[in-house]
Amino acid sequence: MLKSDLILRSPAKKTIGAENITNGQFGAVLSRAGVGKTGFLVQIALTRLLCDEKVLHISLCDTIEKITIRYNEGYASLVDSIGYVDAQIAERLWDEIQHHKTGIAYNNESTFTVNKIRDYLDSFKGADITLPTLMIIDGLDFDTDLSDTLSDLKQLQQDFGLCTWFSMKSHREEPLNQNGYPIQLEKYDMLFDRAVFLVPEENKTQAIVLKDGDRTDQKFLLDPASLMPVEE
Amino acid sequence: MIRDLKRVRNIGISAHIDSGKTTLTERILFYTNRIHKINEVRGKDGTGAVMDSMELEKERGITIASAATHCEWDNHAVNIIDTPGHVDFTVEVERSLRVLDGVVLILCSVSGVQSQSITVDQQMKRYEVPCIAFVNKCDRSGANPLKVCKQLRDKLGHNSVMLQLPIGLEDKHEGIIDLVKMKAFYFEGDNGERMVEADIPAELKGDAEAAREEMIDAVSLFSEALTDAILEEAQITEEMIMSAVRTGTIAREMTAVFLGSAYKNKGVQPLLNAVLDYLPCPLDIRNEAIDLDNNEEAVILDSDFDKPAVALAFKLEDGQYGQLTYIRVYQGCVNKGDTLINARDHKKVKIGRLIRMHSNQMEDVDAIPAGHIGAIFGIDCASGDTFVSPNINYSMMSMHVMDPVISLSITPKDNKAQINMSKALNRFTKEDPTFKTYVDHETGDTIIQGMGELHLEVYVERMKREYKAEVDTGQPRVAYRETITRKAPFNYTHKKQTGGAGQFGRVAGFIEPTEEEFEFVNKITGGRIPTQYIPACEKGFEGCLVKGPSLEFPVTGIKITLEDGAYHAVDSSEMAFQSAARGGFLEAYNKAKPVIMEPIMKVVIETPNEFQGACMGLINQRRGIIQGSQEEGVMSVIESQVPLSDMFGFSTVLRSATQGKAQFTMEFSSYKQAPQSIADEIAKKKAEEKAAKNK
Repeated sequence: MLKSDLILRSPAKKTIGAENITNGQFGAVLSRAGVGKTGFLVQIALTRLLCDEKVLHISLCDTIEKITIRYNEGYASLVDSIGYVDAQIAERLWDEIQHHKTGIAYNNESTFTVNKIRDYLDSFKGADITLPTLMIIDGLDFDTDLSDTLSDLKQLQQDFGLCTWFSMKSHREEPLNQNGYPIQLEKYDMLFDRAVFLVPEENKTQAIVLKDGDRTDQKFLLDPASLMPVEE
Repeated sequence: MIRDLKRVRNIGISAHIDSGKTTLTERILFYTNRIHKINEVRGKDGTGAVMDSMELEKERGITIASAATHCEWDNHAVNIIDTPGHVDFTVEVERSLRVLDGVVLILCSVSGVQSQSITVDQQMKRYEVPCIAFVNKCDRSGANPLKVCKQLRDKLGHNSVMLQLPIGLEDKHEGIIDLVKMKAFYFEGDNGERMVEADIPAELKGDAEAAREEMIDAVSLFSEALTDAILEEAQITEEMIMSAVRTGTIAREMTAVFLGSAYKNKGVQPLLNAVLDYLPCPLDIRNEAIDLDNNEEAVILDSDFDKPAVALAFKLEDGQYGQLTYIRVYQGCVNKGDTLINARDHKKVKIGRLIRMHSNQMEDVDAIPAGHIGAIFGIDCASGDTFVSPNINYSMMSMHVMDPVISLSITPKDNKAQINMSKALNRFTKEDPTFKTYVDHETGDTIIQGMGELHLEVYVERMKREYKAEVDTGQPRVAYRETITRKAPFNYTHKKQTGGAGQFGRVAGFIEPTEEEFEFVNKITGGRIPTQYIPACEKGFEGCLVKGPSLEFPVTGIKITLEDGAYHAVDSSEMAFQSAARGGFLEAYNKAKPVIMEPIMKVVIETPNEFQGACMGLINQRRGIIQGSQEEGVMSVIESQVPLSDMFGFSTVLRSATQGKAQFTMEFSSYKQAPQSIADEIAKKKAEEKAAKNK
């Protein structure tokens, strides 16, 4: 009961639709620095964790401790958005689902390789354990040439039946293209079929669905601190 | 004994397994005329190298215990401790490094930096011991000393500088080029005992000159005179270079790299020269103690022989004739007949017999002066104890003792073995602080703990050989727990009223899960159960927690609320209510859906990044939950939670999966409900054990 209530409140479900999180090729959450890409990705991950699915969260910028804090905060925001929830019940649910998430933190991009992730996922197969269904990659620098990396990740996605969401940092001074995409997305347009652009607007954050089939161009307002949908 | 400390060297020979430490030491002893015949470590004649004195060492071809010896080279006294390479015996390296002034780090020219090289390097850092490196086995196929020098830099962060080049490698390895003297050296004679100096072969001159330039550039940082000579293009003398290398080495800011093949008798004599030229003498090392009479203020120890003696006991050997205590004297002089105080327990000890060791042979001496290593016979102490003259109260830092990582249950095969096993365990735990033993109060098993499976295997074998104690080993039993998962009522009457004094007591209430281990709540009103019997009820309930009704594991996490009851004016008693409480508990327990809890361990693995996937796989295979993996430089730290029952043998598996380069720590985290399949297995085992007991 609590699980389904939490999923309903999820900003990921609201904007992209829960079913679209795992369909398709790559997904991206774009914004300038500090607007909430990682927080939104965490909400995407929580939606899957609440469905008892495994999530692999790879960070090239945050430490493991920070990733853990983000998930704890993301879950707390989700719980608070419902209203009153018995603290013990909420804690028990968190104890149950957080074990489905694994974080891998790299010092920086230079030490991250797709092969490392492949080795890790191969070990699941070897041990006959359920694979993660969702992989979050936070911190890849889309200002550099990532063609090889993305190609390898695409292959990884196919081999292991994963879906992958990325954070993509845009820059204030760069103009958007005619579709309203930041350059970073334009470069790899063909690979991404879901993209959400977070834009600060006055004292809210606007989540613009850049790519998502039938929700394209829809806009949603989120609270900038908790990223929870704001009732309009 | 040489008293000029400038002419004394206390060195250790350390490396990964099978790098050639003992072989090298054998050559050193031969060339210094300490022994007159070279015996190989795994020799065909079965004799074995002199430093491997234990039968087990000779049989297995491994060094198990560190062995001390001394020799003289070029009018210098060299005390050598040859140490084991297996990580299981790491305490031997630890204790040796604590008391040595310098180390020769041996690396295989093919395998390069390996897991125990990493461990030894960490140990050298801990005790701030300078080192030089010897790239051994240059006669092996695939030998590449330059690659090894680079690995020293990349993997261990050393400022490694080649001071030699090889003349030929693999089966063509003939000699070495000394880049300081710019001469070639060959080794002639049946055992390479004659070192012959010659000109550098013409085809290698270019490489040698380039390498020398590089070497001089690297070492010039440690010598102003050398730097000036380079800038002024003045003549660079051998003395300038050697002085710079020595300064850099002692400051631990560079590692001079030498090469050769101990087995083929090449490069050993130049290495010995390097030990004298570049490794520190006791005067170069600052040794500190704390003054226990002066707020534990740090005091610097002076090698002056006339000052009060300060010595550290770093190794014990409990033998047939008493305890042999190896000591390093840091200040003053320990003389035969002296009275010293043990700083730990303030007991006086009289020095009866002083010994210098040559492997397992003893030579009586009259004194061990500061800067030297020796042994005392017949005193009782612990490893790490400081001995001082009566007029001072100093203590030295003991060595670092690692926590055991593996444990086994052992059962003596018969009564005689039990007695001998106890004697053996007493001795081994005294000699080796990383070997521990205890009796598990819950299961009654004797558990031995150590640093690895080899470590424990060796001790079990030694128990058998040295104490004639045959034991069976097995997996330690896991300390499971039981708990309940829902609320359940009880309403139980204990009645025995068949004439004469009877027993009567009724208790009613409920049991429910709780976060605490045990809670008892009394909600009796109206005197339904007299107050004086309430503690008896609580005692009765508590008594049931020791062994759970279903599987006899301790019960935890239960809250019992007593709401109602009844008593009889004559037949009620404390005993009656205790029995009633027990009955009530048993009535409710199965209704409360009991489950088995298993201990979950927090396991942290530190591994080179290339093995991150493999390590995570090992955890996955053990029902572990990986909480996260953090890359830190060239290493990854993986944190996970793994059931203890699946951790048996993990150290060995981890070592194989990561070429010995990963390490892990394990500590208790919490109890969690065991999966049904595991619970069923445990129940089945318990039933089988019960059936076997009843037969």
